[in-house]
Amino acid sequence: MNHLLRTAANSALPILVLTIAGTLIYFFAEAYQVRIAYTFFMNLVVAIGLQVFMGNSGVVSFGHVSFMGISAYVVAILTIPLALKKSQIPDAPFGLGLVQFDIVSAILIALAVTVAFAWVSGLLIKRVSGAAGEILTLAVLVICYVVFNAWIDLTRGPRSLYGIPIASSLPWAMLASAVVIFIAKYFRDSEDGLQLRASSENMLAARSMGVRVERLRLKAWVLSGFLVGIGGVLHATYLGTIGPNSYYFTQTFLIMAMVILGGMRSVSGVIVGTALISIGSEIARTLENGPVVLGLKLPTMFGLTGFFLGAVIVLCMTLRRDGILGDDEFEDIVRNRRATKAAEAATQTA
Amino acid sequence: MEYFIQQLVNALSVGSEYALLALGLAIVFSIIGLVNFAHGELITVAGYAMFFAATTWLPNPWMALPIGIGGAALAAIVFEKVAFRAIRNASTNTGILTAFGVSIVVQNIFVIFVATRPKPVQTPAFLSSMIEIGSLTVPTLQVLETVVTAIAIATLLIILKKTTIGMAMRAASKDFMAVRLMGIKANWVIQSAFIISGLLAGIAAVFIISRRGAVDPFMGSVPVLKAFVACVLGGLGSLQGAVIGGVALGVFEVLLQVTLPQEITAYRDAIVFGVVGLVLVAFPQGLLGRKVELGDKEA
Repeated sequence: MNHLLRTAANSALPILVLTIAGTLIYFFAEAYQVRIAYTFFMNLVVAIGLQVFMGNSGVVSFGHVSFMGISAYVVAILTIPLALKKSQIPDAPFGLGLVQFDIVSAILIALAVTVAFAWVSGLLIKRVSGAAGEILTLAVLVICYVVFNAWIDLTRGPRSLYGIPIASSLPWAMLASAVVIFIAKYFRDSEDGLQLRASSENMLAARSMGVRVERLRLKAWVLSGFLVGIGGVLHATYLGTIGPNSYYFTQTFLIMAMVILGGMRSVSGVIVGTALISIGSEIARTLENGPVVLGLKLPTMFGLTGFFLGAVIVLCMTLRRDGILGDDEFEDIVRNRRATKAAEAATQTA
Repeated sequence: MEYFIQQLVNALSVGSEYALLALGLAIVFSIIGLVNFAHGELITVAGYAMFFAATTWLPNPWMALPIGIGGAALAAIVFEKVAFRAIRNASTNTGILTAFGVSIVVQNIFVIFVATRPKPVQTPAFLSSMIEIGSLTVPTLQVLETVVTAIAIATLLIILKKTTIGMAMRAASKDFMAVRLMGIKANWVIQSAFIISGLLAGIAAVFIISRRGAVDPFMGSVPVLKAFVACVLGGLGSLQGAVIGGVALGVFEVLLQVTLPQEITAYRDAIVFGVVGLVLVAFPQGLLGRKVELGDKEA
């Protein structure tokens, strides 16, 4: 109980700031800005979901965007109205072409399917360490992408599925991100999270203290799969149309840059990273289309967004490997500042 | 029978391509522990070098071959100097992410300054001809690819066994500090490894581009994924493993392509990655790798 309260207190600051910013945008900004804000909160959910595994276990995962894809596809297939479904995927297997669920049960089923998939893949992934393990996560990404593309009867293949009832809006995304921030911080500071983080610092020492690394990795993998799955639900229920390319390398790059820039070992770091990358790629996207700046027509430069993301990753890795915040959460920063102030005050009075 | 031989030649050529790329990855990994995601971009750079050479000052398609190979080697040196030197003593994670970043940057440089659309590249005409032996016809390209790969591997073996730098590289994969204590410059060893990986990627690039006939910014990503799989399959950092893994993967892919019914071939890559995943779970260090438990010091 104590831990629950402490987590609530510690996650209050970022959640409050994000909620105020989101509410202001929701009521006062233009429609396209609301869309950008929605994308930000959705990516925040995915990035924090990835942080739960990557940040605590220290294992880089390239496969998480697949969880997003799986839950988005399940929601789509279960909620698209029957008439539309008939024209898009008439031969859907398991009789899925004949059923339509309401949005709530569809979301619950989607998350359950995602968790089941995460659990099965996690059983394999927890056993392999090091670079081979990271390549295994890459295999997850490729396999899911190939299946999304090739299972045309179910997913309509490379052509997009459309007609998903639009049930989500900015407040829902804000709510989801608040919940995800809380869960991620709760896990990070829990006994399991602490042990897992210890194992990422020094595996042998942690093991000899009785930390069951493989079990904890599986736990973190499934939990983060669940959180990323929420991101997938947010994606499908807002856009109303999804295709396999949304859940492949481009999205992986984006989320990876967000997680790395702020510091993958802290939830607060991921929030900062997501905010910076969102702003940065929005600027890059504007420049890409060749805007007119101070009466000067800039050339169009497609690929600038990707270039920006790649450059952020490389520079971050070479210059500031632990990210902007490193190991610190917001509350650590506040506490450290108070401690320095107190120390200064002490020296002045002395 | 003819069909069988044709497919065998095909399988060997695909396998050789993967082996060349995997070997380059393995050499770099064995020495500095870097999982070089940007390896695929060496192919892309080679391709664009060939494209620019052909369109600007060297229209002769024969000149495209050395330019492609040289371009890849040069790109490998530049990657090492600009990005990978700064993270030399960092963890595997840092390395893998940096290489990932380099790969995105290079891809997008080509998107910004050239185009997303594929550009045609001409290679010598005989590469697309066929060899006829009796009633058997096989593409020259496939035969040549297998032969050239064999020669390249043999040359590499000689370099590794007979020259000082080769011995230094082999020693560095076991204990880099000892190599440096013997008075051999670390930079020299690492740069040689990158140059070799670049040359191998360049050779592979020439064949890949002759087959496709065009270059585009993202052409390197699929081959490099396969090369990774080959490497991991054989045991990361093991050179023999890379070659065997590459050939095995090529043969397996062609086998799937030939034997699977039409509607399942779309899943080929999923099956390949799935099987490799299962192999990894059974042999976490690959087929030829050293047994290491979760938590042991790697490599």
